[in-house]
Amino acid sequence: MSNELGLILFTLRIATLSTALILIPGLAAALLLARYRGPGKGGIETVLSLPLVLPPTAVGILLLEALGRRAPLGGWLAAHGIEIVFTWKAVLLATMVMSFPLFVRSARTAFEEVDPRLVGIARTLGCGAATAFLRITLPLAWRGVVAGAVLAFSRALGEFGATVMIAGNIPGRTQTLALAIFSDNQTGHDDRALRLVAITVVLAFTALWSAEWITRRRTQRVAA
Amino acid sequence: MDHTPAHAAGRRLIQIALELPLARFTVRLAIVLRESVTAVMGPSGSGKTSLLEAVAGLRPRARGRIALDGAVVLDSAAGIRLRPEARRVGFVPQDAGLFPHMTALQNVRFGARGDTRRIDTALDVLELRALLGRDPASLSGGERQRVALARALASNPRLLLLDEPLAALDAALRERILPYLLRIRDQWGVPIIYVTHNVGEAIAVAGELLTLRDGAVEAQGPPLQLLDTASVAQASAGGVENVMRGEVIAHDAAGGITSLRLVGVLPLAIPLVASLAVGAAVTIAIRADDVVLATEPMTSLSARNLFAARVVAIHGSAANAIVRCAPTAGGSAWLVRLTRSAIDALGIAPGRDVWLAVKSHSVRLV
Repeated sequence: MSNELGLILFTLRIATLSTALILIPGLAAALLLARYRGPGKGGIETVLSLPLVLPPTAVGILLLEALGRRAPLGGWLAAHGIEIVFTWKAVLLATMVMSFPLFVRSARTAFEEVDPRLVGIARTLGCGAATAFLRITLPLAWRGVVAGAVLAFSRALGEFGATVMIAGNIPGRTQTLALAIFSDNQTGHDDRALRLVAITVVLAFTALWSAEWITRRRTQRVAA
Repeated sequence: MDHTPAHAAGRRLIQIALELPLARFTVRLAIVLRESVTAVMGPSGSGKTSLLEAVAGLRPRARGRIALDGAVVLDSAAGIRLRPEARRVGFVPQDAGLFPHMTALQNVRFGARGDTRRIDTALDVLELRALLGRDPASLSGGERQRVALARALASNPRLLLLDEPLAALDAALRERILPYLLRIRDQWGVPIIYVTHNVGEAIAVAGELLTLRDGAVEAQGPPLQLLDTASVAQASAGGVENVMRGEVIAHDAAGGITSLRLVGVLPLAIPLVASLAVGAAVTIAIRADDVVLATEPMTSLSARNLFAARVVAIHGSAANAIVRCAPTAGGSAWLVRLTRSAIDALGIAPGRDVWLAVKSHSVRLV
């Protein structure tokens, strides 16, 4: 049981950290895609959405290549003594890459629904661009941003394909709930696998329900 | 109130030389505005809103030179382009543009940077005390405009831009922003550029009228002198109002009459409004269609308001003639809408002495 608790805590920690780390770059990317009208917009959008449609294992292989000692990024990391592949950092990286586009898509739609003229009016009232974003755009897009964060968190909870490619499936080191369910099923520990499935259902339900609760409360306040 | 009145501060100069490409045409104009209020009229899609947005700094493609009271906010040739937040230009768009996630009070506070005295003054001038906790969605169109106007004023602007959607003659009178605009003009001393479709309001509020067509200036001058320009004639075809200000003199409850004295000296009777205090300032509107004109003194007439006047000018097309008359007693000119045949039959011409009659029920309090 303590084994399972460790598994749950590790998975939650990874999913939380992953969501937190993609928040700022994700908001920036979403805002850029929502407001940018110049050339290359379609290309940027496609690249950012790629992890959504590629098989996660393919993304995993690409990450593995990028992190290999012969690749520039991998070489640089190795030269600085930073080891990623087959560590918890690889799990984090895989979940971040896989959930980033989900967050960006949701936040971008929310930003697109904010009337840019309201931002303009805020500017005429003395707000700089950053303040206008924090006081107008973000509060008005709040629901989409929360929904995106929950999607990203849930995706991180369940990530399997990319994780198994670059982090392996090492119990106590890189094994998450999703990976453990697979291992237990493969090794005939079906009852443990089912217990873990039940836990993931509870976690996912809690995440989705709290997001629903937060956004509904906010809507009521605005409508009151 | 510590805000210096416009006339004491001296007229402020607004110079706008602008080139702004739009989908259908390019806005290209060079204007100098000297009056405290400039009204802008023109058919929809003539570039009125684009002009306001360019001055506010919300149109990145705008080029040219804009100076507000000596402060240059745009000078493409010199590479100057102040950001909207540095221009100190208050902007009230047609739909008011209130922040939907804030209450009325939070909206007004937004631009004031904690200057509570300024917020208080804005709330009082625009009579918003009863609406402070309300969400924008629950406000009427006129209330939203008032909140947006207060919000803009609270930000201490050098110039106020107002895109007025509710000046139509059939708009509910309590929705009109006009009385508040007059107050701001007289008490605040901030120059105003005011987009309107109501000729009567332009005459009442603005010292100068600018008409636009396809992004170019069609005419610029005192509103009364522009009644013949195409845009103004077009706007006045839907009806023209006489908008005037006055003061409550007395109530006659038995006679069902409240007596006003219009600015100048002209007395005017309106249906009893006992709730108005004697001495209270009022703004009234009378449609040009509701004024009766006669070439002889009228007797035995039911209309409560009869006065002598002299024809100053005849404006408009054959179908839509507006006779401008100056009351002998003084005060602002009256506009009377007549058919061309009536003008011909009565021999009305500039310089002719006439009598005007207004039913008290034709006078509407704005």
